[in-house]
Amino acid sequence: MKRMANIDILPMACVGLILVLVMMVIAPMVMTHTQTHVDVPMAHTAETKTEENLTITYTNEGRLLVNDMEILPSELGQVIAAELEKDPFQLVIVRADKDVLHNDVLEILASVKQVGAKRIACATKKPKGD
Amino acid sequence: MRRHRRLKFEHEPQGLILNSLVDIALSLVIGFIVTIPLFFESGIFVNTPGVAKAGASDVSDIKVNIHLLDDGSILLNEEIVSYERLAELLPELLARSVARKVIVSTDANVRYEQVVTVLDLAKQKGAGQLALLRSKR
Repeated sequence: MKRMANIDILPMACVGLILVLVMMVIAPMVMTHTQTHVDVPMAHTAETKTEENLTITYTNEGRLLVNDMEILPSELGQVIAAELEKDPFQLVIVRADKDVLHNDVLEILASVKQVGAKRIACATKKPKGD
Repeated sequence: MRRHRRLKFEHEPQGLILNSLVDIALSLVIGFIVTIPLFFESGIFVNTPGVAKAGASDVSDIKVNIHLLDDGSILLNEEIVSYERLAELLPELLARSVARKVIVSTDANVRYEQVVTVLDLAKQKGAGQLALLRSKR
């Protein structure tokens, strides 16, 4: 009796599994646009979608970074204006630490608005179990 | 001799059982899908009208002004309310408002987290637009 030939799907399953693991590790790095750790506030609302954006990070120590490049507060308007020249409708995300003063964040938002940003969002994180 | 051959055929390996492997892979994918919103940051769109405008607006609409004080108190249209009461009143006010705009202002030493909590609550209760008011210095 002639035996039926089976397709060996073990290598395919292994490759699939490895791909999933690689995606799990790489995806957060690729999609957050910044490596600077900031403890952003929790919020249930999630309005922003994953898209190309300009990320302004304001840490608890008072450091200000635009797309992971540290700048002085006085340079913020100039840097943002240069970036917005490429795309005026670019989403500007302000990632501020939850413990900073709101007035400091307002200063950043005002500078961003002043140079013509059309879409501004405050970065938040979804609470666990949401 | 014939019996020996049959036994040999019965013990021939039947191939690997992939069910458990596929199950684990599927569980990982589902876990990945479920946990991904926790890894990624999202955001709330805000508007910054700049300095506080003096004078009344031309359009008559229900106003939703929230002011956060340094001591943690919340003022909703000039009245002190608790966070729970704010959550109750916001939907009522927003339902009667055309623009569904919530304006949030703060004292000088309010933490950013408190403001985002209020913005988040306003969005959850149906606010269409959020504006952060910056007072003139």
